Amino acid sequence: MTAIHPMTREYAEYLHDESRSVGSADSISFPADEDGIRSVLRALRTRPDGSAAAPPPVTVQGARTGLAAGAVPGGGHVMNLSRANRFLGLREEDGVFYLRVQPGVVLSELRRHLVAGTIPARGWGRADLRALERLYAGPEQVLPTDPTETSACLGGMAACNASGARSYRWGPMRPHVSALRVVLADGDVIDLRRGRVRARGRRLALSTESGRSLEVDLPRYAMPRTKNASGYFVEDDMDAIDLFVGSDGTLGVISELEVALSPAPAVTWGVSCFFDCEDRAVDFVAAARPALRHAAAFEYFDAAALDILRSQRAHAAAFASLPGLDDAWGCCVYVEIACDDEESARGDLARVAELMSGVGGDPADTWVARTDVDRETQRFFRHAVPESVNMLIDARRRADPSITKLGSDMSVPDDRLRDVVALYRRTLAEAGLQSAAWGHIGDNHLHVNILPRDAREYAAGKELFGVWAREVTAMGGAVSAEHGVGKLKRDFLAVMYGGRAVAEMAALKRRFDPYCQLGRGNLFDPHLCEGGA
Amino acid sequence: MHLVVCVKAVPSTTEVKMDPRTNTIVRDGRAAVLNPFDATALELALQIKEGVAASGEPCRVTVLSMGIPDTERLLRDCIARGADAGLLLSDRAFAGADTLATTYALGCGVRALGEPVDLILCGKMAVDGDTAQIGPELAGELDIPCVVDVQAVEGPLGAGDGADEGTGDGPICRHGRLRAVRATDAGTEFVEVDLPAVITVGKDAARLRMPGIPGVLASSDAPVTVLGADRVGADPARCGLTGSPTQVVRSFVPERADEAEPVRGDAREQAAKLAELIGGMA
Repeated sequence: MTAIHPMTREYAEYLHDESRSVGSADSISFPADEDGIRSVLRALRTRPDGSAAAPPPVTVQGARTGLAAGAVPGGGHVMNLSRANRFLGLREEDGVFYLRVQPGVVLSELRRHLVAGTIPARGWGRADLRALERLYAGPEQVLPTDPTETSACLGGMAACNASGARSYRWGPMRPHVSALRVVLADGDVIDLRRGRVRARGRRLALSTESGRSLEVDLPRYAMPRTKNASGYFVEDDMDAIDLFVGSDGTLGVISELEVALSPAPAVTWGVSCFFDCEDRAVDFVAAARPALRHAAAFEYFDAAALDILRSQRAHAAAFASLPGLDDAWGCCVYVEIACDDEESARGDLARVAELMSGVGGDPADTWVARTDVDRETQRFFRHAVPESVNMLIDARRRADPSITKLGSDMSVPDDRLRDVVALYRRTLAEAGLQSAAWGHIGDNHLHVNILPRDAREYAAGKELFGVWAREVTAMGGAVSAEHGVGKLKRDFLAVMYGGRAVAEMAALKRRFDPYCQLGRGNLFDPHLCEGGA
Repeated sequence: MHLVVCVKAVPSTTEVKMDPRTNTIVRDGRAAVLNPFDATALELALQIKEGVAASGEPCRVTVLSMGIPDTERLLRDCIARGADAGLLLSDRAFAGADTLATTYALGCGVRALGEPVDLILCGKMAVDGDTAQIGPELAGELDIPCVVDVQAVEGPLGAGDGADEGTGDGPICRHGRLRAVRATDAGTEFVEVDLPAVITVGKDAARLRMPGIPGVLASSDAPVTVLGADRVGADPARCGLTGSPTQVVRSFVPERADEAEPVRGDAREQAAKLAELIGGMA
């Protein structure tokens, strides 16, 4: 029986996540397995005084690395799954390895074990151990999803459909999730395996392990044809598992998941391409996307981001080892080339040089990382940008605690990249706001970070985000491309899909979670769920 | 001006495989990386090259290594970053060399370059062997001066008069002399040395630049010469295991002891216990 602890001061860290939002809760539990999850959910439904009051909200947490406050509780109970972190088994089918884990397994740990051949396999069956032997005997395997925060846990990555730089090539978490076990709010379980249950049109019929049938009507909205982590994934004839991936902890608690591994590319080269102006960088990306056969990622850093790095390198000891940036360099496009042999990589590298020249750039203004040392230097460089911006905002918060970082997470279709960049530049200039932009330009998905200096600028920045949400929606884009909607972007979700679609989402949630317990406040306002059961 | 940078391929991980027969490291080219100290030496050489070139004088950097054939890959990487040419000494006769036999081979390599060398740069030490002997022994082999643990070089120097003119912009050396800044236990030492000379470079002296696309693309066709012992006129009796007066008797990974004794009590009691424990170790 998993203990339910009163929310005392010692658990204060579980009231916030990387979004820097702080919530409140009455109790917390740390289930270590599916039975623990079920026992906690059932215990919460049993009121101590026998009354019929609605059970409390339950906020499910993994590693609390999310940026949209999805794991920040709004009262009730916190279910933290960081102790459900065992590796459960492995199977091989048609040459693909499928690894079954508990939701609290941390991505960096998975990577470490895959490289070192040290996956904890105690208690595994004979067939799983034989698969493990074959895994170690073959080429190195990876989970291709690569969020910047490698301390994220796999359950959380599935819950928010995490992505990262390499999603340009390998997509977000969703296609790599092959099976899920989901505990519903009443403690019943749905066992989902990709390919087993599909919707008929927008009608989905599921059955729980207790034998209960659940037939649900999926919302009717059409999703944008862009990178998208906004609201429930729905489309005609969809696989049932895809509804639960990216559902922000609102439909059920992921108690186990199986992910498909992929062979690691034999050759990975990182190429930082510097340009004197943003227009050239955008032109380069537009030309390079169809031209590079082995591109795995296109990332962008604007002039303000590079200036922040120059300043950090000069003044902060922790960043002194950043490579120096030529004064003439105004922005950077990072291209990652991943393939099976160096000849292919060299071919793409030569193409990058041609494309740079074609837009008026100089191929000499590049860094090519082909060794672990150089790759680590580039990784440090890329990750130093958000880290530095967080430090800057933290310093400003000390002067005015009401402000925080405002980071956008919107994407648009390929043919609107120039338009959205122009939109950002024009509106930021009009508002007179300081900003720094970086992110996944290959997916037309930039994180434009407004850096408010006071409460007035903070309010102006929030207003600007509303403008962008409307404009991006009009361009056929998504208001959240990778961070998920959580609690911070639910107003944008209504802008993107409209109130009727959001009401359909809430109705869908009530079919799985009649008391609106799970992830309350994520995706939509809690009042949309009220009156359930 | 002609600079030679001696570089070594070292294992990329701490999981070093040992040959149980010879007690030497098993070299696996695919898992090898440039010795980090040598990377620093290369960067310093490239900065000197740029400084000299800026003053209008020609300057070339040659990278030199002794190793298995796959080491050519590392030499091409050095060329991608700005070196001009590479010479790899690769021959079974060189295998199992200690530092004396290695520096003999490197000395033969320097002489085989066929053109005068002004400055030889080595990493202060290699992360696999940790001897820090190659630079000084190479200087001995070539009978030229050596400055160890260099952190920077300064210039320009005047023609032969040295001293007070060494405060120009950027590292540069010319007119047959070099001013080196080296770290010592007591602080910083400024050393002027006649060229040709050998310097060994500390790891924090510089950070090796990443190559650009033109360098990487050109490096595959760059001139890297691979020569065996006979081609550099090496005496087989002075090469490899045969030419090594030192022999590795046994190599092993030290076992870690996890025994720990908790130190309890208030600060005074803990300090007394610590003093007792430290005294016991002395």
